Amino acid sequence: MYGDEEHEVHEEGEDEIVQEDSWNVITAFFDDKGLVRQQLDSFNEFVNVTIQEIIDETPEIVIKPESQHLPGVEAAEEKEYIIKFGQVYLSRPQITEQDGESVVLFPKEARLRNLTYCAPLYVDVTKTEYTRLEDDTVEEKQETFSHVHLGKVPIMLKSERCNLHEASTEQEATNLGECKGTSASWPAPQGGGYFIINGSEKVLIAQERMANNHVYVFKKSQPSKYTFCAEIRSVVEGSTRSASSMSIMMLAKGKKAGAAGVIRAQIPYIRAEFPIFILFRALGFVSDRDILEHIVYDLDTDPAMLEALRASVEEAQEVQTQEEALNYLGKRGSVTGASKADRIQYARNLLIKELLPHLGTEEFMETRKGYFVGYMVHRLMLVALGRRTEDDRDHYANKRLDLGGPLLAGLFRLLFRKLCKELRMQAQRMVDAGKEINVLSAINEKIVTRGLKYSLATGNWGEQGKQGIRAGVSQVLARLTYASTLSHLRRVNSPIGREGKLAKPRQLHNSLWGMFCPAETPEGQAVGLVKNMALMCYITVGTPSLPVVAHLEEFNTEALDEVTPADIAAATKVFINGVWLGIQRDPTALIKNLRAMRRQVAFSTEVSIIYDGPLKELRIFTDYGRTSRPLYIVEGNRLLITKHHIRRLIAPAPDEEEYAWPQLVQDGLVEYIDAEEEETTMIAMTIADLRNAREAGSNTGTTYTHSEIHPAMILGSAMGKQAMGMYATNYQTRMDTQGFVLYYPQKPLVCTRAMDYLKFRELPAGINAIVAIMCYSGYNQEDSLMLNGSSIDRGFHRSIFYRAYKEEEKKAGSMSREEIEAPDPVVTAKMKHGTYDKLDADGLCPPGTRVSGEDIICGKTVTLPEDPSGAVQRFSKKDASLALRGHEAGVIDQVRRGWVMLTTNDEGQKFVKIRVRTICIPQVGDKFASRHGQKGTCGITYTMEDMPFTAEGIVPDIIVNPHAIPSRMTIGHLVEALMSKVASLMGSEGDATPFTKVTVDNVSQMLHDLGYQRRGWEVMYSGHTGRQIRAQIFLNPTYYQRLKHMVDFKIHSRGRGPVQVLTRQPAEGRARDGGLRFGEMERDCIISHGAAAFLKERLFDQSDAYRVHVCERSGLMAVANLKKQQFSSTIYKEGSNVYQVYMPYACKLLFQELMAMCIAPRMQFDRDALPP
Amino acid sequence: MVFDLLDTDVSSANALRRVMIAEVPTIAIDLVEMENNTTVLNDEFLAHRLGLLPLVSEMAQSWKRPFEWAHDDDMIETAFALDVTCTVDGVLEVTSNDLVPLNPEHGVFPVNYKSETEKPIVICKLRRGQQLKLVARARKGIGKDHAKFIPVATAVFQYKPKITLSASAMAEMTDDEKQAFVHSDPSKTFKFNPITRMIEVDNEESYMYDEECIVKARELGRPDLVTITQQQNHFIFRVEGTGVLPVASIVRQGIEILYRKCVDLELGAREAVKLARDKDAGISGGGALMIDGGPGGGMGAPGVGGGMDMGGPGPGGMAMGMGGPGMGMGGMGMGMGGPGGMYGGGM
Repeated sequence: MYGDEEHEVHEEGEDEIVQEDSWNVITAFFDDKGLVRQQLDSFNEFVNVTIQEIIDETPEIVIKPESQHLPGVEAAEEKEYIIKFGQVYLSRPQITEQDGESVVLFPKEARLRNLTYCAPLYVDVTKTEYTRLEDDTVEEKQETFSHVHLGKVPIMLKSERCNLHEASTEQEATNLGECKGTSASWPAPQGGGYFIINGSEKVLIAQERMANNHVYVFKKSQPSKYTFCAEIRSVVEGSTRSASSMSIMMLAKGKKAGAAGVIRAQIPYIRAEFPIFILFRALGFVSDRDILEHIVYDLDTDPAMLEALRASVEEAQEVQTQEEALNYLGKRGSVTGASKADRIQYARNLLIKELLPHLGTEEFMETRKGYFVGYMVHRLMLVALGRRTEDDRDHYANKRLDLGGPLLAGLFRLLFRKLCKELRMQAQRMVDAGKEINVLSAINEKIVTRGLKYSLATGNWGEQGKQGIRAGVSQVLARLTYASTLSHLRRVNSPIGREGKLAKPRQLHNSLWGMFCPAETPEGQAVGLVKNMALMCYITVGTPSLPVVAHLEEFNTEALDEVTPADIAAATKVFINGVWLGIQRDPTALIKNLRAMRRQVAFSTEVSIIYDGPLKELRIFTDYGRTSRPLYIVEGNRLLITKHHIRRLIAPAPDEEEYAWPQLVQDGLVEYIDAEEEETTMIAMTIADLRNAREAGSNTGTTYTHSEIHPAMILGSAMGKQAMGMYATNYQTRMDTQGFVLYYPQKPLVCTRAMDYLKFRELPAGINAIVAIMCYSGYNQEDSLMLNGSSIDRGFHRSIFYRAYKEEEKKAGSMSREEIEAPDPVVTAKMKHGTYDKLDADGLCPPGTRVSGEDIICGKTVTLPEDPSGAVQRFSKKDASLALRGHEAGVIDQVRRGWVMLTTNDEGQKFVKIRVRTICIPQVGDKFASRHGQKGTCGITYTMEDMPFTAEGIVPDIIVNPHAIPSRMTIGHLVEALMSKVASLMGSEGDATPFTKVTVDNVSQMLHDLGYQRRGWEVMYSGHTGRQIRAQIFLNPTYYQRLKHMVDFKIHSRGRGPVQVLTRQPAEGRARDGGLRFGEMERDCIISHGAAAFLKERLFDQSDAYRVHVCERSGLMAVANLKKQQFSSTIYKEGSNVYQVYMPYACKLLFQELMAMCIAPRMQFDRDALPP
Repeated sequence: MVFDLLDTDVSSANALRRVMIAEVPTIAIDLVEMENNTTVLNDEFLAHRLGLLPLVSEMAQSWKRPFEWAHDDDMIETAFALDVTCTVDGVLEVTSNDLVPLNPEHGVFPVNYKSETEKPIVICKLRRGQQLKLVARARKGIGKDHAKFIPVATAVFQYKPKITLSASAMAEMTDDEKQAFVHSDPSKTFKFNPITRMIEVDNEESYMYDEECIVKARELGRPDLVTITQQQNHFIFRVEGTGVLPVASIVRQGIEILYRKCVDLELGAREAVKLARDKDAGISGGGALMIDGGPGGGMGAPGVGGGMDMGGPGPGGMAMGMGGPGMGMGGMGMGMGGPGGMYGGGM
């Protein structure tokens, strides 16, 4: 549309693609991956692979009877039982109704009936019974239980196990009551990616963490005991064992002379740090030369490093053999008072099991571990000698994301262990009692069911009641706008303390380019810690490293035990997932080969290959949680993808089935590059850069986007999530606790290409308003705006607010029973003061009823227990009705009732959801915002005749104050406005995609050609006087959003009202009709005015004034019977006066609490000072 | 409709514009009684949409607004019935043609009702099995009450421009410069005559006062090339109706209402002067006011609207302020007349 007069000229004909063609590739990416792919991929991996793995890795349960020795009774034959788990089966989501019938459950029903969308998990269990017979032969008896119920697993919507998975067309999804967005036929298979727990939608927020098995070298900030430190958190691939961290430190100059530069190690279970050479000796490397070779590799070429290690060599002089070294470690272990042999054995075990477990926890791994420790020291020395800089903690190559799959896997592993533990206990009890093991009854499936549900429902990740659980992992899915839902599903959280004032982890890091949005982050305490994934970001799911390892071995990678240290110096070290596998003498060929393998999908495309030249290392990663992004592959400064492929993408050749994203990957045209590989990759920014490089040898290009400033984008992306629009196409059938729907949402006049994939046009949240930027009468100062009242009459930004209420017949003990009915005032106690007249005979308010204030919308009673004395009671029931929120009014929109079973064992309960609708017409105080962080509240509404007008008859809908523009520099706001005007006049849509050739001058020229002032100015006339306004006004259409903050939901005032029970001070908050706090600062202000009486009125008379009677002699509170005018001290029956004293109730409370603690606060009275 | 208004000043022109927008009465649906609504749109939504339907309002002048009702034969409302059930697969559109006037003799119909040429206005869309059944009552109102009563789409004016081109300046300009000057005005006010090689004013009235051409002339070093003045007593009016009333009628009614306001103002002013004089003479004004204020302040005579709408500047306001109970009633009646009813047309 704009700037396309510049035709690109290609010398190579039409083979090379142009920027425009990339959009076909991007569309193909989203067609294949959608926007919540990371969630679905990781969950599918969990369900399809990880569950079985967790069950397989669990050791079999062995039970031996510990029979009681009874005198006279022959010892029973020796028996042994082994319980083993086999194949698991995960069913489809279903629900077992009250009558025992199981039906397929669809998400819509789960949402409406507050059910959990979960599927039963079954497992095959074998029980083997070994009996040792008298002739010492063993009899084996095996019994297999197939499909034993193990628990229920919540299922992610649209995952492979979801019942919606097959609902591929829009129509099918709609018929199942889902939003159109959940169907696969929407260009991007969006939707899903969340769970339904007890009817509420829950998202698992990706959790960021440091990568394991990485060696990090840091410089310690002085003063500190150490100068440098190399650390590693070693975790065995696919194990639950908590990380075993090890660190190697270089000592700073301490009090002891000569200690500077000494290297020490710290390993688990050893109390103190110890000389690094002792660790080597304990691992079996005894001679100094041998050890040094493991660190420096080539002793002849690097005298500087050797010199630096001198102090360390000398420090370990007294320990010279492996035995001594092991003994040295054993002495410092946790076991005390053991014999020397025990100590040595303990240390030996420790080194096998706890030192760098990712290298192996079997015996004879000393060579590997020795080399690895040497490598760590080497890395430390490189930094210490100033040859390398310290590692960057915030680099995204060093980060991993735990998505739903790994999070659930961790939780499931925990719960399955617990289940096994309980199973063992149960089985043991059965065996000890001499009974057969009843496997079916010993497996408590509720552990898994409840555990998973608890964590997903509350967001507390871990076992209930345990320490160290993470909060906020699972959140209620935001459903304000479709955009807010999408954004929520792609959110990433860094669980670093919010209080920490360290700015670095919050800052935008270079390595986040292309992986995370630079603008979308919350303001305030979580700034920079909560991030949102970039659109094209792909999170790896993880693949086994075995195929790669096998390939490496084939490719002449020499294992460490086969080489000499001198070889290492010359060759390249090969690491896979942090494990040092061996060395390679021809890395270039290997890397070429590996890349080719990856591009042919000989092994997974998500494997990353990093060749670190300076370190002479080849690092390969296959683990999960790396952030990566797809890039075009370039060979010889030429893209491998050509026009030919693009044509096939648009319309596949007649003989082939489909040409889409997976084919692009398979054909080696694009590949995923993760944050670490990106560091070693040459990446061109534009296609033109490649052309320049081919032709001129220079390859620098400059591309600028809009000149929007950064804070405005942060504000804009935060506000877009509060806008009203159409949050889902199925909103009519949903019963969300809160929902906002705009009467007449419009698709914006100006869009970006990326908005196609967000489906913003289909589910918009705003209106193209005619906006004048001007001062008119002063009612739009300080970020307020004026609205055209006539436009509002015609439906401008009118919206519907839905609020759903829930009521159910809970079972509360055997004595009382709840019933939904219209309460009979004759027999019901404690009726509320709202009207019960609007209820039907069934106790529910019918749809179409106007309700307001505290009207009862659902009647409910609880039966009162009978009086044990048998006396006739006046009331047999107590009211427990549901009233409308105090400040709201509306019309009953929909009533849905159902009989619900929460779980199979629970009783079916009468259950009802009532939705109330309120029409919200814009009024003074309501909040609006453009898409550029320009927010404002309505300051006044003017009818059409009062609004300024142009000679053409255009009257603005909104008038914004010009002072909102210069200091905030929201250029995008103005550019959007200008482009919207052109778009509206041409009847087309404007394209605001960054990095295109659209310029303000282009747009201006078009506007001029259309017969308008080039900069979008118009001559306007005052609506009040009819005079022409002196300045020309910037009058253009701009997309405006209505935000959810509305005065009617905030307006609050109170004269007197409810007080707190304990302190009798006014309650807090609008919902409770509370008071407005008169705080410290207000108090200070009044003090400075000297208005003491007013201060006393605020803080005492209007708060918790109270009267007590005090005995003069004891100074304590007396008993007063005001009716009979009798006053008596509790201490002095006679001979004391009683005074009447006014004091805050809180004061009286304090005195009584003190008295309860045996402190007597005595009040003394000065007779002379008293009034006569 | 475009017409010129001459020999007056801005204030009068603007008053006419304002009256045409806000005070020319029309008829619109004001109350909807829902009988059955199983559509996807809720009752309030439909009521609002129905309210915005333009209805032929030529009868409005002879009607009374609800609070003006005084006699049994005063016309205040007419009713429409709507009953559509979708029995087909696919989507059925409920349009303004489906509204059935219950009193066709009242002469109130939706604009373009059952027209052969014009498409009707869609109220709602139905799927199979959905039904919409309601009775809608239309009443008289003015644009002040609600935008649905506004009879015009646009009613605007501008000063008539007077453009003079200096031949002497033009003589010194090259053709390119002349062309550049002509193209500088976005609204194509000027044209270049290739025969005379002169700049001519093509369409004076299209000039928007955006001063682009003046800027260009200055840029070209010929600030004297063009002189544009606004004729302060000559206005070009542009009025577009919504179809509820003929535009000429809107203008005529606008002038009439404006005239009546002036008469009322004059009356009020005289009254105030008299009152003040009587007060000076020590005679209580109450009695006199009640007599004269009677028709204005009483139960909804037409004068009140005018008096109140002036917002009370000058003597008129004074008379109102002192009007006492009688006037108060009139004001209250107005306030209650609008919204009341089941679904107040989404006001």
